[in-house]
Amino acid sequence: MSKPSNALLHGALDALILKTLARGPNHGYAIGRYIEETSGDAVLVEEGSLYPALYRLERRGWLEAEWGTSELGRRAKLYRLTDAGRDQLAAETAMWRRFSAGVSKVLLST
Amino acid sequence: MKRSLRSWLWRIPVDQEIDEELALHVEMGTRELIARGMDPKAAREWALSRLGDVERLKRTMTDLGRKRDRDMRVTQWFDELRQDLRFAVRQLAGAPAFTLVATLTLALGIGANSAIFALVDATLLRPLPFGQPDQLVAMWETTEKTPRSYVSPLNMLDWHTRGRTFEKIAGFTPTVGGMVMAGADGNAETVSRQWVTAGIFDVLGVTPIAGRTFSQEDDVKRANVVVISEALWRTRFNSDPSLIGRELRLDGSMWTVVGIVPSGFQLIGQSSMWAMRPITNLPPRARSAYALQVVGRVRPDVSIKAAEADIGAVAAGLAREYPQTNAGRGVRLEKLHDSMIGTDLRRTSMLFLGVVGFVLLICCANVANLLLARATVRRRELAVRSALGAGRRRIIRQLLTESVVLAVIGGALGSLIGAAILWVAPSLIPQGLLPPMVTLTFDARIVAFCAVTALLVGLVFGVMPAWRATSFSLTEAIGSDSRTVAGGGRARALLVVGEVALAVLLLFGAGLLLRTLMAVEGFDRGYRAESVISMLLDPLGSKYPTDEALQQFYDQVEAEIRAVPGVKDVAYADALPLDFFDAGGFSFEIVGEPPLGDNERPITEYQVVSPAYFSTLDLPIVAGRGFDARDRGDGLPVCIVNEAFARSFRGKSPIGQRVSLRPAVSPQSKPQVREIVGVARQVKGRPDEPKDFVQVYVPMAQNLSDDIFLVVRPTSGDAEALVPSIREAISRIDKEQLVSVRDIVTLEDIAWTATGRHRFRAVMVAAFAALALLLAMVGLFGILAYTVQQQVRDFGVRRALGATTGDVMRLVIANAAWVIGTGAAIGLVLAALGGRLIQTLLFGVQPLDVTTFVLVTIVLGVAAALSILGPARRVARIDPAVALRNS
Repeated sequence: MSKPSNALLHGALDALILKTLARGPNHGYAIGRYIEETSGDAVLVEEGSLYPALYRLERRGWLEAEWGTSELGRRAKLYRLTDAGRDQLAAETAMWRRFSAGVSKVLLST
Repeated sequence: MKRSLRSWLWRIPVDQEIDEELALHVEMGTRELIARGMDPKAAREWALSRLGDVERLKRTMTDLGRKRDRDMRVTQWFDELRQDLRFAVRQLAGAPAFTLVATLTLALGIGANSAIFALVDATLLRPLPFGQPDQLVAMWETTEKTPRSYVSPLNMLDWHTRGRTFEKIAGFTPTVGGMVMAGADGNAETVSRQWVTAGIFDVLGVTPIAGRTFSQEDDVKRANVVVISEALWRTRFNSDPSLIGRELRLDGSMWTVVGIVPSGFQLIGQSSMWAMRPITNLPPRARSAYALQVVGRVRPDVSIKAAEADIGAVAAGLAREYPQTNAGRGVRLEKLHDSMIGTDLRRTSMLFLGVVGFVLLICCANVANLLLARATVRRRELAVRSALGAGRRRIIRQLLTESVVLAVIGGALGSLIGAAILWVAPSLIPQGLLPPMVTLTFDARIVAFCAVTALLVGLVFGVMPAWRATSFSLTEAIGSDSRTVAGGGRARALLVVGEVALAVLLLFGAGLLLRTLMAVEGFDRGYRAESVISMLLDPLGSKYPTDEALQQFYDQVEAEIRAVPGVKDVAYADALPLDFFDAGGFSFEIVGEPPLGDNERPITEYQVVSPAYFSTLDLPIVAGRGFDARDRGDGLPVCIVNEAFARSFRGKSPIGQRVSLRPAVSPQSKPQVREIVGVARQVKGRPDEPKDFVQVYVPMAQNLSDDIFLVVRPTSGDAEALVPSIREAISRIDKEQLVSVRDIVTLEDIAWTATGRHRFRAVMVAAFAALALLLAMVGLFGILAYTVQQQVRDFGVRRALGATTGDVMRLVIANAAWVIGTGAAIGLVLAALGGRLIQTLLFGVQPLDVTTFVLVTIVLGVAAALSILGPARRVARIDPAVALRNS
C-alpha cells in the first residue's frame, strides 16, 4: 500500500474521529476502518496516530471510554462521544467548512 | 457530571488497558485480512506491522493515559465536591432547626475567639509600630532591692557614650503631665505633655509627618522645643501647616513647635505633646535623679544578651567611679515589646485565649452531639447509599463536607459577631489596660483566623460523628426500625461529660476572679467620701513666682469655694487614695535609732495635704492631732503618719518622735526631718496591694507644688452639679483665667478605675463561663430529650408493669446525674489543678477556695435541674396505653 500524503489531514484526524463516533460508540479498530472506507481509502489512518489521538481526546473530555463487548465477543474498550465532544465536532466542522471553501477559492480559481 | 460512574467502576491499570486495546486491534485486522483470503500467518504479521514501532506507540499511549487519569481524578474530585456541597446544602436546608442551632453555636464560639484573637494579636503577636522593633530594648537600673529602677540622665549618657553595642539610647519620663497652653482667646487649656530626651524619636525610628524631631543641637542649646501629635495638630490647630517653627505659650514660657508625628505614635501613657528635656551639662547631683524610662536601639549584629553584658560592664565602671551614687547599681535590658505590653496584660490575654478556646471546644462538642443525633436518624439513608456502592471513605467525605459547610457558615457569622464585639470593645476595656500604641482592629488577619478556625473546627467536630455514622452493619441498619437503634448513646454522653467538665472549670475560674473583684472592691478604704469630687488645679508658675504668692492663691481659692452653697469642705492633696502613681516614694529613718544603709531604709509613700484634707475625706485621725494653722512654711516641720507607718515604732507611741525622709530615687540627698504630730487611719494606696502601704502626710504649706488636686466635699448629693460654680469661684480669684482645671472625677470614679482590670477580667471570664454553662446544659438537655424520646415504649412498658411516675423519673434523673456528676468531678479536679495557673491574677482568694468550689457546684446543680426538668416531665406524662399502641 502506498502512503498518500496526509500531512494536511493529520490535524483533521481529531475531527474525523469525533465525526465517526457521532454515529454511536465504537472501538479503535472500527473507528479507523470506518474513516478509511468512508473516505474511499483517500484517507489512511495510521495506528501510530489513531490511538494517541483517542487518548488525547479522552483526556480533553471529548470522548469517554467504557468496556463493552466487541463483535468477537471479547472485552473491548468502546469510545463514546460526550456532550463536550459533540460541541467540539460542531466547531471543527464549521472551521473545516470555512477552511476548505477558502482553499478551494484559491486553488480552483481560473 | 461529565464522566459516567461506570467507566470508573471498570477501571483497570493503564498498561493492561493499552495491551488489551492493541491486542483487539491486531486481532480484528488479522480476521479481516483472513476474510479477504490472506494466509492467517501472513495476515497476523501484516496487521502487527501496521502498528509500526509497538514499544514506542505503547510508551506514547501510556504517557497520555496517565495524564488522562490524573486529569480525570482531579476533575472527579471537584465533581464530587460540587455534588457533596449541593447535597450538604440540601440536607442542611432540609433540617432548618438543626442547622440554625448548629451554626449559631459555632458562630458564638468562633466570634468570641476571633475577638480575643484580635486582643492576643495586638498584644502578643504583632510587633511594636516602630522601625526594626526587634532591636529595641527597655533599659533599667537595678539595685539589690529593685529589679527595675528608672535611670538617671547622667548614667544614661554614660551608657550611650561608653557602650559599644548600641546605636542610640534615649529616655522619657514615665508619667504624662500637662502644660497650660494660653489660647488666642485668652482661655487657658491643658495639653497633655511628656518629657523626652532629644534622641527618643531617632531611637524609635519615628519619622515626623511635618517638620523635624529633636536634634543634638537642640539639647546643647537647651532650646524650648516641642513635637506635637498629628491628632492635636488637626483638632487644635486645624491642620495649619504654618504651625512648624511657630512659638506657643506653654506654662508661661515660649516653646517652638519643630515637628508633628503621626497619631499612632505613643510612649507609655497617652500624650499630645513631647517636650525636650536637655541632658547636656547637667550638674553632678543629677547622677542620683532616677527619673527616666530609657529605651535603646541595639546594633543589628548584636544580641540583647551581648548588649546587656556590654552595658553591665559600663555600669560596673560607673560604680567604681561614683561609688557614692552608683555602688551596687546594675543594668537590666528587656525587649521593649515585653516591657511595654507588661506581664499583667500578657497574662490577661493568655487567660482570655484559654477561656474562649474552651468555649469553642464546648461548641464543637455540642455540634458533634447534634450531628451524632442526626446520624442516628439518617442511618437508613446512609445504609442505602452504601448498598448502592458508595464506599465508606466516600460517605465520610460527604458527611465531613456537611460539617465543614456548617462550620463555614458558622465562621462567616462568627466573624460578624467578632467585628461587632471589637466595635463595642473600646468602651468596655478599662483605661490603661492596653498600652496606647496597641489598637484592636478587625482586619484581614482576623478574617483569616476565622476562616482557619472554621475549617479546623468543621473537621474536629465532624470526624467523630462521621466515623461512627458509617460503622454499622448494612442489614441491621436497613432492616431495623430506627426507634430501636440507640446508636451513639455513649459517645454522646461522653461528649456532654466533657462539656460539663469544661464548663465547671470555667465557672471555677470565673468564681475565683469574681471573688478577687469582690475583695478589691469590698475592702475598707479607710475614708468615707465617695461623693467627693477632685480636680487638678494647675496655676501658671510665672504668675505666682514665690511660695507666698502661690500659698495665698491656694488659700483664696479654698475660701472662695468654701463659700459656694452646697460645699461642705475643701482641701488640697498631691495624690488621692487608690490613685498613687509609682513615683518611688521616700525612704525613712527614725531619728534616735541606729542609722541604716542607703538600701536598707524602709520606704513610705509621701503625700502633701492641706489641713482640711482629713475632714474633707472623713478620714479619722486616730492619735495626736491633724494639721492646722500652726503648720506654716516657716513653722516646725511636722508630719502625720498612717497606721502602717506607726507600726514601725513597735508599740511605742509615734507622737512626738522624729523621722528623717529622703526621696527613694536620691538616697544621697539631704533628709527632711519631721516631727510626727498625729496618726491617721489606714487607707488603700492600690486596691490589690499585697500589704498595708506605709504613708506619711506632710502639710502643704511646708511643701508647695504648682499642680495639686483640689478635693471638694458636697453637703449632700451629687458633687458634679457643683463643678460649674467651683470653676466660677476659681476664676473669681484668678481673673486672667490662667489656671487650668482638669481631670474632674469623683473618688468613686477613681476607685472604679482602680479596680477596672479586675472587673474586666472577672466580667469577661464570667460571661464566657455563663456561655459555656448554657452550651453544656443545652447539650445535656439534648441527650436527655433524645433518650427519652427513644425510650418512650420502654417507659410505657415499665409504667404498665406497675412502675410509678417517680420510678421512671428516677431513671431519667439517674441518667442525667451520672453525666453531670462525672463531668463535675472531672471539672473540679481540673479546676483544683488549674487554679494555680491564674494565681497571679487573684487577690484576696486562694486558688483552692472552698467557697468557690461550693458555689460552682450549686450553680451547676441549679442549671442541671433546669435542663432535666423538661425531659423528666415528658417521662412523667407518658401514658402507658398510648406509648404501647404507638410502637
